[in-house]
Amino acid sequence: MSQENAQSAPNAEPLSDADQQIDDAINKEYSAGFVSNIESDTLEAGLSEDVIRFISGKKNEPEWMLEWRLKAYHQWLEMEEPEWAHVNYPKIDFNEISYYSAPKSMADGPKSLDEVDPDLIATYNKLGIPLHEQQMLAGVAVDAVFDSVSVATTFRENLKEAGVIFCPISEAVHEYPELIKKYLASVVPVKDNYYAALNCAVFSDGSFVYIPKGVKCPMELSTYFRINEAKTGQFERTLIIAEEGSEVSYLEGCTAPMRDENQLHAAVVELVCLDGAKIKYSTVQNWYPGDEQGKGGIYNFVTKRGIAHTNSRISWTQVETGSAVTWKYPSCVLKGDNSVGEFYSVALTNNYQQADTGTKMIHIGKNTRSTIISKGISAGKSSNAYRGLVRFNAGADGARNFTQCDSLLIGSECAAHTFPYIESKNPKAIIEHEATTSKVSEDQLYLCQQRGIDAEKAVSMIVNGFCKDVFKELPMEFAVEAGKLLEVSLEGSVG
Amino acid sequence: MLTIENLQANVSDKNILKGLNLEIKPGEVHAIMGPNGAGKSTLGHVLAGRDGYEVTGGSVTLEGKDLLALACEERAREGVFLAFQYPVEIPGVSNMEFLKASVDAVRTHRELPAWDAVSFMKKAREACKAVNLDQQFLKRGVNEGFSGGEKKRNEIMQMMLLEPKIAILDETDSGLDIDALQVVANGVNALRSPERSFIVVTHYQRLLDYIVPDYVHVLADGKIVKSGDKNLALELEEKGYGWLEGESA
Amino acid sequence: MTSTPLHAAIAAGSTLTSHATTKIADVQNAAAHAWAQTPWPTRKTEAWKYTPLKALEKGEYFIPAAKSTLSADALKQFAINRLEAFTLVFIDGHFCAEQSDDLTQLPTGMTIEHLDDASNLEQFNKAAGEHATLFGELNTATINTALVINVAKNAQITQPVNVLNVASANAPCLANARILWQQAPHSKATLVEHFVSTQDSQVFTNSITELFVGENAQCEHYRLHLEDEANLHIGGVYSHVHKHARLNSFYLAMGANLQRVDVVTQFEGEGAEAVNNGVYLPRNKQLVDFHTCIEHKVPHCNSNEIFRGIIGDSARAVFNGRIHIHKDAQKTLAELSNKNLLTSNKAEVNTKPELEIYADDVRCAHGATIAELDALAMHYLRTRGISQEEAQVMLSFGFINELIEQLNNTAIVEYLRPVIAQRFAKKPEFLESLIHEALV
Repeated sequence: MSQENAQSAPNAEPLSDADQQIDDAINKEYSAGFVSNIESDTLEAGLSEDVIRFISGKKNEPEWMLEWRLKAYHQWLEMEEPEWAHVNYPKIDFNEISYYSAPKSMADGPKSLDEVDPDLIATYNKLGIPLHEQQMLAGVAVDAVFDSVSVATTFRENLKEAGVIFCPISEAVHEYPELIKKYLASVVPVKDNYYAALNCAVFSDGSFVYIPKGVKCPMELSTYFRINEAKTGQFERTLIIAEEGSEVSYLEGCTAPMRDENQLHAAVVELVCLDGAKIKYSTVQNWYPGDEQGKGGIYNFVTKRGIAHTNSRISWTQVETGSAVTWKYPSCVLKGDNSVGEFYSVALTNNYQQADTGTKMIHIGKNTRSTIISKGISAGKSSNAYRGLVRFNAGADGARNFTQCDSLLIGSECAAHTFPYIESKNPKAIIEHEATTSKVSEDQLYLCQQRGIDAEKAVSMIVNGFCKDVFKELPMEFAVEAGKLLEVSLEGSVG
Repeated sequence: MLTIENLQANVSDKNILKGLNLEIKPGEVHAIMGPNGAGKSTLGHVLAGRDGYEVTGGSVTLEGKDLLALACEERAREGVFLAFQYPVEIPGVSNMEFLKASVDAVRTHRELPAWDAVSFMKKAREACKAVNLDQQFLKRGVNEGFSGGEKKRNEIMQMMLLEPKIAILDETDSGLDIDALQVVANGVNALRSPERSFIVVTHYQRLLDYIVPDYVHVLADGKIVKSGDKNLALELEEKGYGWLEGESA
Repeated sequence: MTSTPLHAAIAAGSTLTSHATTKIADVQNAAAHAWAQTPWPTRKTEAWKYTPLKALEKGEYFIPAAKSTLSADALKQFAINRLEAFTLVFIDGHFCAEQSDDLTQLPTGMTIEHLDDASNLEQFNKAAGEHATLFGELNTATINTALVINVAKNAQITQPVNVLNVASANAPCLANARILWQQAPHSKATLVEHFVSTQDSQVFTNSITELFVGENAQCEHYRLHLEDEANLHIGGVYSHVHKHARLNSFYLAMGANLQRVDVVTQFEGEGAEAVNNGVYLPRNKQLVDFHTCIEHKVPHCNSNEIFRGIIGDSARAVFNGRIHIHKDAQKTLAELSNKNLLTSNKAEVNTKPELEIYADDVRCAHGATIAELDALAMHYLRTRGISQEEAQVMLSFGFINELIEQLNNTAIVEYLRPVIAQRFAKKPEFLESLIHEALV
């Protein structure tokens, strides 16, 4: 593998041994890149009103939902694709993408796990996501979204007892139309941005969570997303509503098979965090990043935002190691007094991956507080940008923000950028922003090696140390997974 | 134990070691002194296997094994320990985590029983105590924000845990006050044993009052130009290196 | 937006002056073309996101200023005592030889030429052209009098050059100021750019200064914006710092209702250093906008940047500090700090410290803060019997004075201290104590 790498950069200067070792250590095979052999019902590529009617029809949606989608579609047609992000990719032809794909065996809708295609279950097992409740880590309820549809939501009965609703959003449209009507697009308006509008028009499934007043959700909720079918886009939509004084921790994981062409993933996540509620939203994103030459991979254009009401807290934690291009800014609108927003992020890019990610903290209420810890790791020929906005509105007396953004560069052909926008209209608000860059130095590697630790392990230790502040924010089960994921990302073929 | 024969090495295409010979038997302490630029630190790095230090001739064997054929970490696992002149900071990686990884790698290689977390902690605490380093240092990032003296003591502490066959101390005494020097020397002396050898690279004779060497060598222009017992160090302290010129032939 | 009145005004303006050499004419034509092609900035234009240009949109400020004069007495008020500089006077962008020091009495090693007669135009627009903004193009397209100041190889000139720019016209007009400062290797010199105004002036100053600091040369540079608030000022300072050279710049923005300065410092040789420090103190409805960019193009260069601002009343401040490390610029050290105090409910600050890094073996850091005065320090002063109001003044002044005290030129320090103290002191007795205290 090391030789291939050397060959893949014919114009590059010969690497020193240490560079080569670092280089090898950060290269890895994408372990979630298999294709599942499942018969799918996939809509022909292209986007039109008919396609939207088709999707809506498949879901048996009420008329109001269809109208809403069509309106979004017409608004999207008038919008322009954003170009401000520090990423480069060929223009996407939105008519080349299929907007709906479902495993065939799902067509009639499984009533229970027993009816789910065994291949599908095997796929999830391969990904390390056991759907069978008996196999599961205690206390984690899983909703799994495969291409466009939700295939299984576990532990639903247990949750129901606590009054917690955790189901596919397509089901929520039927079962809880009032909640959907009230909250859908209440945080991310339809016209918020190009991809959000597209998602409104074509979203097929996703998770819906409702935590009633005063309820502390008895277990972690989790969704796994997987794109399986070629030339399909995935447009899932997640809506989480935490009523007054409630609490929930939600985890999301993503994978996709290795394919030569790029695939689009444009999701929208909305969090409604009412007075005194707490939402912790964690993501491990491991979409297929493309190969060593930069071929293939997922375009991950995601809008995530939460509104925090009085005394509430929203916490975003993300570990981003996948996707060819990432465009993602999980944000908090700190509307209520004393509300708290947090963003903890590790973004690792390798080979030709590009990431432009960060957060927005909009301080509206008094004494609102936000913390941003961003750790960017760039390796190979990748580009990794932090883009953030911290805004203090005129009424945000006593608001505070602390931002720490660090970049770690591994190898001399990668790039790291920091674009923090800091805006204040309030003299009683305090912002502190710090950013640094560093590299995994040859000296550090040498010290580790002299103590008997091989280069691969050394790089992994250094990178994990760099990310420590973020990992400790992840729920236990995910922290382990994230650590492993980085380790896998750092696994190579050293000597 | 360690046999160096006609060792020649380049750094950035510059010839630094020009045919160095040294025979170290188990349990011996060899001091290496010499003027600046003589190649003292280079010798340490060449033995440890640092990248960029190119061996152009000669051989080095450790208990008959060809050391030069091994990668840096393999040599460490075989029992070569280098106490760095400038210990490197690794922010974010705790000293403990680092040491555990290191000890595990070395012990696994030597087919020694692994230390569980409890006994590891116990050993680490003992080692800290031996070099007068607060246990808090175990929790801090490797050498991060340590003072010069703390870094040097941290090196000795690591040496205690790794139990090397041959330890190379590269100017471990520079920048230390006399109290710290004694602490370091006591740490080294505690590790002296019939199975373990030391190469002590230093500028100053005073270290050798505390770590008494069996042999003292003068390294000049990439070669050992004079060898003697501990009295040679005293002589060097008094006369400098000038009088040795011409002896390198 | 290409056919607004202002573009028409410029199209006419750019043909007003004709220059002797074809090199200048070529550069000007290209700039005029670029100006005409560049869309007028809106809120969506990243470089002008926070800086609306409404005041300029009617086009009245694009009428080239006529040549006028001021008496020696009228100019006296702008003198910087003890600076003992060689002074060059520009009024509304026109060079006034009769008000300036005698060009035949230049310090040894220094020559000053008009652009049209310049012996060497190789570097003209070389630094500015590469990073030109819309207004940079406008400046180049409409140059009337530009001076070229040359410092000879090895010359160590202690006498500072003071370029005094006076805005005097009392109807809206455009003053175009242009300086080309060229230091040959191993030289040392000081440039002071002093922007002031007379009462009732309404001038839009569009200024460009190019600094070329040759190998191992040292340049000390001060740029002081002290115009009245009825004026507007958009300017740029573009520097090339060569091998082992050092540029030390200080910016003060207190004048004009709209002040925008683009500072681009580019390293052209290894081992060079640059310090860009600055202070901005907008009040009333002033808007100050600093866009700084350090171009680390080569290895082993150091840059350091500290900007501090206090924003009061309904004023606004914009700071965009970019550090750009190119692919080959290994072993770079770059630091940037931007600290802001907001002192009013209606004041606003937008800051964006950017890092763009394409080399791995570098050390870069930036920090930005927006805060109130330190509550503990405030409390401490009050426990010593100082009123809250006075404590506020003292701490604000101290926050800025930290940077002023670091300046190498004591005449500039002494000149600025009372000017700045006056900004904060609401009562004369505070002023006295501030100045006094600082002098002790």
